[in-house]
Amino acid sequence: MKWSGYKNLEELSEHDDAALDSLKRRLVAVGVLILCFALLIFSRLWFLQIHKGEEYKNRADNNRVRMSDIVAPRGAIQDRAGREMVTNRPSFNVVLVRADSNDVDKLLKKLATVLDVDISQLWEKIREVEHKPRHIPIRLLEDVNWETLAYVENHNQEFPGIRIETIPARVYHYGDLAAHAIGYLGEISRKELETRDSDLYSGGDLIGKMGLERLREQDLRGEKGTNYTEVNAKGFEQQLLKDVEPLPGNDIQLTLDVDLQKVAEDLMSAGEKAGAVVAMEVKTGRVLVVASNPVLPLEHFVGGISHKNWNALLENPKHPLINKVVQAMYPPGSTYKMITAMAGLATGVIDRDTVLYCPGHYSFGNRRYHCWKRSGHGAVNLKRAISESCDVYFYQVGLRVGVDKLAEFANKFGLGHRSGIELEYEKSGLTPTKEWKKKNRGRKWQEGETLSIAIGQGFNLVTPLQICLMTATIANGGKQFLPQLIEKVTDPDGKVLEQFEPVVVEELKGEKRHLEEIRKGMVEVVQGKRGTARKVRIEGISIGGKTGTAQVVRLAQYKHLKEEDIPYKYRDHAWFTCYAPADDPEIAVTVLVEHGLHGGSGAGPVARAVLVKYFEERLAQAAAEAEQKNEE
Amino acid sequence: MLRVDRRCFHNFDWILLLFLLAVSGMALLNLYSASYPPVSWGMPPYIKQCYLFLMGMMGILFLLSFDYRELQYWNYPFYVLIIILLLVVLFAGKSAGGAQRWINLGFFKLQPSELAKLMLVVTLASYYSRKEVEGGYGLKDMVTPILLTMLPFLLIMKQPDLGTALMLGIIFVSMTVFARLRLQTYGVGMLLGSGATVFAWFYLLKPYQKRRIETLLNPGKDPMGQGYQILQSKIAVGSGGNFGKGYLEGTQGHLHFLPERHTDFAFSVWGEEWGFVGSLFFLGVYFSMLLWGLYVAMTARDRFGVFLSFGVVMLIFWQAVINLLMVLGFLPVVGIPLPLVSYGGSSLLTTLLALGILMNVRMRRFQTGQGMEKTSKG
Repeated sequence: MKWSGYKNLEELSEHDDAALDSLKRRLVAVGVLILCFALLIFSRLWFLQIHKGEEYKNRADNNRVRMSDIVAPRGAIQDRAGREMVTNRPSFNVVLVRADSNDVDKLLKKLATVLDVDISQLWEKIREVEHKPRHIPIRLLEDVNWETLAYVENHNQEFPGIRIETIPARVYHYGDLAAHAIGYLGEISRKELETRDSDLYSGGDLIGKMGLERLREQDLRGEKGTNYTEVNAKGFEQQLLKDVEPLPGNDIQLTLDVDLQKVAEDLMSAGEKAGAVVAMEVKTGRVLVVASNPVLPLEHFVGGISHKNWNALLENPKHPLINKVVQAMYPPGSTYKMITAMAGLATGVIDRDTVLYCPGHYSFGNRRYHCWKRSGHGAVNLKRAISESCDVYFYQVGLRVGVDKLAEFANKFGLGHRSGIELEYEKSGLTPTKEWKKKNRGRKWQEGETLSIAIGQGFNLVTPLQICLMTATIANGGKQFLPQLIEKVTDPDGKVLEQFEPVVVEELKGEKRHLEEIRKGMVEVVQGKRGTARKVRIEGISIGGKTGTAQVVRLAQYKHLKEEDIPYKYRDHAWFTCYAPADDPEIAVTVLVEHGLHGGSGAGPVARAVLVKYFEERLAQAAAEAEQKNEE
Repeated sequence: MLRVDRRCFHNFDWILLLFLLAVSGMALLNLYSASYPPVSWGMPPYIKQCYLFLMGMMGILFLLSFDYRELQYWNYPFYVLIIILLLVVLFAGKSAGGAQRWINLGFFKLQPSELAKLMLVVTLASYYSRKEVEGGYGLKDMVTPILLTMLPFLLIMKQPDLGTALMLGIIFVSMTVFARLRLQTYGVGMLLGSGATVFAWFYLLKPYQKRRIETLLNPGKDPMGQGYQILQSKIAVGSGGNFGKGYLEGTQGHLHFLPERHTDFAFSVWGEEWGFVGSLFFLGVYFSMLLWGLYVAMTARDRFGVFLSFGVVMLIFWQAVINLLMVLGFLPVVGIPLPLVSYGGSSLLTTLLALGILMNVRMRRFQTGQGMEKTSKG
């Protein structure tokens, strides 16, 4: 078998050579074949690397660079003295990156047991954003506590795809103080996402849902930063490429005074009252107090409010979700009598000395209109009419002036239209006119209705803010200011972006004398012997005010009951509005207590407490001086 | 026993060696990048590949020490040995991904299916060079080579290793067509071939193998599976652009977007880091080497030498083409390495030995003598 040497050269025949040559000739074809394939591959390389090179470069970058938002710290909200009301704190969210998890189902099951949450709740969160790319983080749980945080961090090997995200969350230094004005944040809804600038927002972002948080969203939100991270194919982060720092939101300084606000809210809450307290600077229109009770539990909204808590708010008969300062309307009751008086004086149908007789009722048409004091006030001039709130006096003034004139003056004091305060869903109230009735009710105005209007009942509707604005306008001599809630807006560097100066919306000219007469009556309400709000009196400070009772229903069946026996929801609303000091007014305070029965007793004490707080220093000083005098 | 003619040294194929060293050098450079950053455990692939390369070079030296014609005698013992190894693998091999392909030799895992490719080249070259038929081979002549191919083919299919089995088929077809059949034999062959394909589709292919082919035909169907691998490879190569991202700078490879980046998809790493220019250079050298292989066949002394060189060139060429077309998104992922470039000891050794045979043929192109008995002549 062994092959042996090279000796048989001769055996290589001619024939063999020819066969070998023909075989070798085929190799040329093979070479062409190889070249063809080489050409195919080269052109494919050209196509991928040159022709589509840019496109694939982008795709490679998309592969490896994961951009994620860095949430910007929201602007702070301060009171007028610069005290921080709302700032931020770090909050920890448990987020899921589906791309990093190979078995989401298993992961969630484990997570649900460890964190003691309902798994369906977690799936719900995922379902909401199912259409998004798998590397977009999904917030499963928001604002988790330290124990949860520590557990998840320490066991992160067991939870692939689960990460902890730190974002700023709202912290409310004064609890629920001014909750309605401040408002709350919530996760952006799909609808909001569609209407908002898509560059600024993405799913899962927090957005102001109510109050100033919503109205001033543009200022407060700041600008998101971006984090560019290189990731590998499994989604694990390799290195930080760059960080674009977020731009914090602008700070908002309110005109509110937390001390006064607190006094107002505490008193309302203590009496479990539903209603509103508004206080404003008479000479600027700056709002010092906007309180609506019951308050909103702001903390419940951090990290998303639970269904249970939300339903409780919805079902609460005292309607905590409504900001009663601007969003609720009530008949103004006797607080409207200043309008009637003003209209009477200005049109000249009465003067300060006009005396009208009150026998306890007034007959008009075929009806008898009662005074609240059935026994009657007797002969009444303007001052007494206001201080004792004589209905019969104002029936007559109203009749002489006519409903349209009443409405005209009501409008001049801020009733019947929105004040323009920076609060949402402000109601305009209603100051009826003949035309209004014809248009809206389709019926002719009955003169008898003018009587009801003149004493603040009937179709009349106002918001507590409007009554406060009216009071301030009376107190300052006729200037109707734009009520302002914001003092200034500053950027993170402290630069003032917006500064709010007092704005006069309308000025009642040439009526200073008449207004003074009205104020005298109002002072008598508090300071007079027979005034309806004597209980509000403060030693050392003279106050002008007016009580009011807004009838809720006029039901015969309750007529004979004692007030305390009438069911809560049928009880009258109590108004009290006032200003102080009487000689040089600075502050106007208006209190409405829903179903609070009487202005003087139901609403007065709250207003009084606010005033006491406001004049605290001056009162203390006066007391000290008095003491000194005594010693001398 | 070993008699080496002096002329052998003069006639040594330096050019082929140069090609071999150039390609291997670039391949090792690429392998370093493909396995970068190095893992803390075990021997890094490029070191291992270096050792195997040296081993392969010694294998070449050993091959060169005797005349390639000796292989005509040794081919059957060699054939039997490989078949035994394939059987051993089937019954005692290590499995990877559900397929049994290796025999663990300690320092490296031997894949007999790789050696089987070279074995088939030698076997068929030996058969066709011995049996010369005027006017092309008939059906009767084909029985032996078909059987010789079928046996290892089925054993490899059984592992299962579709890619390598396919390679055996391709080698068989290439060499047979090169040897030239009668016209009607082609017809029958095609009929039988398509019949076998249908049979294979329904009875032989594993579901994952079918899916690979389906994915190629309809890439959108399976974006995260096979299609994903191909897509990532295309992104890698495409993103290389004109001049590439630079050595060790490829993001697709280093961030693990590329699957099998040091084995089947090694060229993607090269394409990403060296770009169009680098790829052209590399493939230029590679295909030049293959063309030189054809030149070696052209200048071979005898029929066996021609068949042997041709077979070796085809063995490397088809693997390279299939691998490249797969990497560039023209073919499904079939698990065929790029010879000399993909990491893998068995493939490297096989390729080096194959090139050794080529060198041997080249070196002894002037030696005359027809020592062996011809089974058929004329």
